[in-house]
Amino acid sequence: MEEKLTLFERIQKLDRRWVYIVVALAIIIPLMLPYNSDNVTSPPTENVYQMIDSFAGREDRAILLSFYHDASTMPELYPMQVAIIRHCFERNVKVFFLSFLPTGAPIIDMAINTVKEEYPHIKSGTDYCNFGYIPASLIMATVIGMGDNIANAVPTDAEGRKVENLPIMKGITNYTEMNLVVEFSGSVAGGYWLAYARPKFGTNIAVGVTAVMAADEYPYLQTGQFIGMLAGLKGAAEYEKLVDVFAAYREPGQPLIPYVDASGKKHVPGRPFSEDLLEKSDIQDLIKITTQTEAKFTPADYEKFVSTQALADQAKIRQAKTQSDGKIVIDVSKLKEDDFEAGTWSALNRMTRNTPYKFKVARIGMNAQSVAHIMIIVFILIGNIGYFIQRARTGKK
Amino acid sequence: MKKTIPLLVVILGGFIWLAWVFVPHRLLQDVFYYDFYLPWARAMAPFGMLLGVMSLSMMHYGKIRRKAPKWQYSFFFFAGFIATSLAGFIGGTQKGGLYMWLFENLQMPMSSTMFSLLAFYMASAAYKAFRARSAEATVLLVAAIIVMLAQVPLGVKISRHLPDISQWILDVPNLASKRGIMLGVGLGSVATTLKILLGIERSYLGGE
Amino acid sequence: MTFELFSNLVGAFFTLCIFSFLYKDNPLYQMSEQLLVGISLGYSLVLVYERTFIPFFVQPIFLKQEWILIIPSIIGMFYLLRFSRKLSWLSRYPIAFSMMGVGASVALAMHNSILVQMRQAMVPLESVNLALIFIGTIAVLLYFFFSKAHTGVYGKFVDIGKWFMMVGFGASFGLTVMARISLLIGRIQFLVNDVFLALKHAFFG
Repeated sequence: MEEKLTLFERIQKLDRRWVYIVVALAIIIPLMLPYNSDNVTSPPTENVYQMIDSFAGREDRAILLSFYHDASTMPELYPMQVAIIRHCFERNVKVFFLSFLPTGAPIIDMAINTVKEEYPHIKSGTDYCNFGYIPASLIMATVIGMGDNIANAVPTDAEGRKVENLPIMKGITNYTEMNLVVEFSGSVAGGYWLAYARPKFGTNIAVGVTAVMAADEYPYLQTGQFIGMLAGLKGAAEYEKLVDVFAAYREPGQPLIPYVDASGKKHVPGRPFSEDLLEKSDIQDLIKITTQTEAKFTPADYEKFVSTQALADQAKIRQAKTQSDGKIVIDVSKLKEDDFEAGTWSALNRMTRNTPYKFKVARIGMNAQSVAHIMIIVFILIGNIGYFIQRARTGKK
Repeated sequence: MKKTIPLLVVILGGFIWLAWVFVPHRLLQDVFYYDFYLPWARAMAPFGMLLGVMSLSMMHYGKIRRKAPKWQYSFFFFAGFIATSLAGFIGGTQKGGLYMWLFENLQMPMSSTMFSLLAFYMASAAYKAFRARSAEATVLLVAAIIVMLAQVPLGVKISRHLPDISQWILDVPNLASKRGIMLGVGLGSVATTLKILLGIERSYLGGE
Repeated sequence: MTFELFSNLVGAFFTLCIFSFLYKDNPLYQMSEQLLVGISLGYSLVLVYERTFIPFFVQPIFLKQEWILIIPSIIGMFYLLRFSRKLSWLSRYPIAFSMMGVGASVALAMHNSILVQMRQAMVPLESVNLALIFIGTIAVLLYFFFSKAHTGVYGKFVDIGKWFMMVGFGASFGLTVMARISLLIGRIQFLVNDVFLALKHAFFG
């Protein structure tokens, strides 16, 4: 009994630098050794996803992303922004960008360039438009002016082109069409849009905030003033998961990019949001964080996939296949990129369901969060147990 | 006398601003706001910045002159300040220049790191300071632990209902308390600004 | 060694200097701290010059010849007289000018913080949760109303507000933990990916 008490006393008096080392290791190790985990999505995130997805492929709908923060809050907000931009590029949603802070403008450029690398078919001015930095003195004029005519409120974009002449503006006039504003902020989120855009024009507003502020924004969520919210790194991880499961999902043989068929109808790849699909266990294969190199097909899917590739590559694909558990497996790490056409190589990599590192940053971070949270809870429990034992001991004396 | 004129400016100007909120007349909206107030406020703004520069520079210069403890490090303040200012004024603020390089590779990493030190301090506080000394503190800790566990993927593995419980905590008690606090803060700030508007509160004018 | 790798190494060096404070206060940390303050100040000075001084002081007065703006500029310069013992009373004028805006904020704060919140809180109490939110909001509001003593039945009702606040603060704390650790994760991701792994790639292939 005496041994245990003095052990707790010693733990109580532990130098805080040991605590720091434990914290550092608790974060470094999960970051260096990724493992697969599942982030359960919550209604605030799902609502944002569903609203953006409802604009898929539509000429007359667009979203506006407002970057109202600086570099210090980037670890939480940047993965969210990348995930939303990826969603828009996958599902052909028109997206506009602006920033009311000078420190936000370089972050917009970074985010767009990071995502654009994977989507060569996306063009500035057609699929997205960056309005750049708008000085604080023009905030009210811009927010209210976009309710009448966007091209008048923001005459030129960040690259100096006249907004009204851009192809993206076909079908978009004001907030009636650009019906969702998502503001990312580490301090006041959605302030100007809530005060001016929503009451006057009925714009939908969603916010992406740091976790510190998330608890304070719940009143606005409940009243419907915000249609949804992405809260910190967890919100970003949830959104990344939704994009992987729905927007970035391709059936074998499905084209990778949007196209217009012979009758003039537009087809947008990926699949729509569905609550039931999220409950199924086989989506775990789609959201793996570890690097995936094997594309697995059922025999029927395999034939569908091969028949839609370039003739010259079909033979090479058939050569590379192996069998395992009744499924046909193609290991991409054993093949060379130069042997195939660009389209076939992209399709093969898609079928492995591997996510590029930049699109799973938040989920890798959440692994480290798990370990860190457990560690802090353990600290709290040990501290309290030791405190109560000490109190009981002095009480007995 | 020295305080009266500024006080009158605040009271009269404050009432004109109050009228600006409610009266859509051209005289207030266009002439007062756009033609008078905005250009005047913008012309005054840059000099406030100079105040900060002068204050810090005088403090560090004084430290060096008096050879106060750790006076050598004040040289680093001047080095950083002069290097960045010159790089900005001479080299320009475009992306590839020295000014932005200093900002992106020195200021950004250092300020983010300052913020991230908070994580360590919080873990240390959790260990040394968070004690369930009373029933209220216990409730606080239990709510915190539930929300913390539910945020991470491990939470679902511990209990399937954990995310729902955490969502309920955020949607109901948290919302009620935040809304009550928001209303209280709103009422308080209206009271304070009303006192400033009517000239009852004069502390912003300083001493003497 | 590419320029990008060199820049990341510089960032990593100063990151580690600041982290060294966790072990002990040391000269490297002191140096980085002062450097940070100096660079931040220099950055803001140039930004203010470019985005406020030039477009709103130099251009209107000297290019567009709006000479009336010399008056607010002189009033703005009174900010600096704060350091002079004899003339520091003049620094009240620019402060007074910027405090004029409280007139508008009386009305706007009344609307945004109070009336809108009240309107949104007055919903039909259709479910248990809505009733709980209603009771909680009122109890928390009354908890801070000290003109009436918190005794008897009234005191017990107001006590409920305390419990609601404890749960609310617990939830905020849980989310704050996540936010702070995210910042640390961001830094360590930078150190692991952009520095450690890049160095490994550069030197060992």
